[in-house]
Amino acid sequence: MMMLKLAFRNILRNRRRTLLTVLSMAGGYLLVSVQLSVTEGSYDQVLDFYTRDTTGHVQVTVDGFVETPTLYKAFRLTGDLQRAIDTVPGVQASAPRIESSALGYGDTRSFPVSVRGVDPEREAALSYLADKVSAGRYLTSEPDGQGYAGVMIGAQVARQLSLDVGEELILVSQGADGSLANDLYRVQGILGQPGDAEERWVVMPLAAAQAFFVLPGEVHRLVILGADYRSAPRLAERIGEVLPGQELSASPWQTVAREFHETMTADKEGGMITLYVIVFLVCIGVLNTVLMSVLERTGEFGVLKAIGTSPARLFWLIVLETLLLAVIACLLGGLVALPINLWFTLQGIALAEPMDISGIVFSHYRGQMSAYVFGFPMLVILIAAALIALMPGIRAARIVPVDAMRTL
Amino acid sequence: MSSVIETRDVSKHYGEGDTLVKALDRVSLGIAPGEFTAIVGPSGSGKSTLLQLMGGLDNPTHGQVHLANKDITQMSGRELSDFRRDHIGFIFQAYNLIPVLTAAENCEYIMLLQGVPEAERRERVYAMLERVGLAGREGRFPHQLSGGQQQRVAVARAMVSRPDIILADEPTANLDSQTGSDLLDMMHDLNRNEGMTFVFSTHDPMIMERASRLIRLKDGCIDSESEREA
Repeated sequence: MMMLKLAFRNILRNRRRTLLTVLSMAGGYLLVSVQLSVTEGSYDQVLDFYTRDTTGHVQVTVDGFVETPTLYKAFRLTGDLQRAIDTVPGVQASAPRIESSALGYGDTRSFPVSVRGVDPEREAALSYLADKVSAGRYLTSEPDGQGYAGVMIGAQVARQLSLDVGEELILVSQGADGSLANDLYRVQGILGQPGDAEERWVVMPLAAAQAFFVLPGEVHRLVILGADYRSAPRLAERIGEVLPGQELSASPWQTVAREFHETMTADKEGGMITLYVIVFLVCIGVLNTVLMSVLERTGEFGVLKAIGTSPARLFWLIVLETLLLAVIACLLGGLVALPINLWFTLQGIALAEPMDISGIVFSHYRGQMSAYVFGFPMLVILIAAALIALMPGIRAARIVPVDAMRTL
Repeated sequence: MSSVIETRDVSKHYGEGDTLVKALDRVSLGIAPGEFTAIVGPSGSGKSTLLQLMGGLDNPTHGQVHLANKDITQMSGRELSDFRRDHIGFIFQAYNLIPVLTAAENCEYIMLLQGVPEAERRERVYAMLERVGLAGREGRFPHQLSGGQQQRVAVARAMVSRPDIILADEPTANLDSQTGSDLLDMMHDLNRNEGMTFVFSTHDPMIMERASRLIRLKDGCIDSESEREA
């Protein structure tokens, strides 16, 4: 307690210098915290959107399908299996999908397309598919009055094949049994705009896709949504426990979209360099201050050593003083960062041009309020402060009392 | 009588070759318990250097210093710190109190390092400050005290941890004669009543008058010694 008192009073000796040092460290904390908040908020938005829109949080597939998707790696999705997965704690929604490719024909032209078979109701509850309809209407499970299954087609498919809502689309492909697959469908809706990820899609009801590709009762993926994309690996483990047999596996989105995940992680790590540069620049200034403070008190350290203070205790006194400065700076920085991060989270910065991704509009850069956004900068500043204190601390510990006291 | 502190052939040299300075040259002496000794001599005679070597603040170029039957010249920095803490009290010419600690905290600090329980620390500090005439000024910081009061705190700090010996380097040099005399009377009382051993380095005649033993240094060597009834 006495050492803490001594450290605290020491840092109050030169109040102006302490204030400037604290402000410099608090400024560093503030910059790091706000930047982290905005970056994390942006990544959060992107990842939440991406996983909901594309991969879900977890996927159940046949082993190896995630790495090498083929028509033949399908599995039978029974009602029991679907129910078992839906009742796993944390599962909020699940939707089966079939995926393969085909050649689409309009009146006069053909165009390669990516065929998706989905359960319209389950898919609408899980992904943004229903929000992407730019013309016509969303998919229905039942065929129309003439017995045609309805499909939604990507904007590029519509343009290349000169198709509009209500017109007929012919698909030709290969069935899982090796047969030639071909059928006629009614365009029920158009998805997004040319350039969107769905521009080459043809989305049809699951039953129609199973019939087209000759996969009765089978699916390629069961896409599952949990509460949070971050907890996907744990959710995948829990789901894995209810899967029957050895051939099925539950993979988190980080595995399903490995390249995307690695790119995002690398991008994030790249952004951290800026943060470390900020901390480094702050540290240089603080190191100068701490060194100056130690040099000024050389004589006093000599006295402390003369009356019995051990070198280690002197070292820790310097570390304690620097850490106290850092803690005060972090608290001050945190107080200022709190309303700023809150504003970024609730309000955000309006983008000059809102981003339209497949019909989903991003209009604001949002921040994030989390323990990480406030705790990580504090950890970095505290570690940096401890490192800064090493050299002055060692210098103080090595002081020879009789030499040091000559400076008094 | 066995010595509290003993120097054996202690030398301290600075520089080398043509620039060699022998601050102390083969000084051997012993200080018995309860002595009130003054090491005197002109400036540059080696008084302060001898005191620093006796207190383990510096290492001799040659020779040994024994305190509590241990050769302190062989100790590491850490061992020396602990040894000074437990066995030696220092009083400096410039008081050298810790400016951010109050009078009481300055005295308490060494006992804290010694691991004395808080209640006992407080009790001893308040008793000692009363003993040196500073009752009621325990909470004052050094800059709120006069030079004489600061030196009294320094005396209290040196004594409160109950060391084997107190080494005082020109303790009255920065004080006016009346304050210096009062302070010396107080230390003399502590010596006579509590048997505390004092060694001074000084050229203050007031200390020499009160000293039971005078060691005169000249050019780094003991020139003469005298003992008398103080």
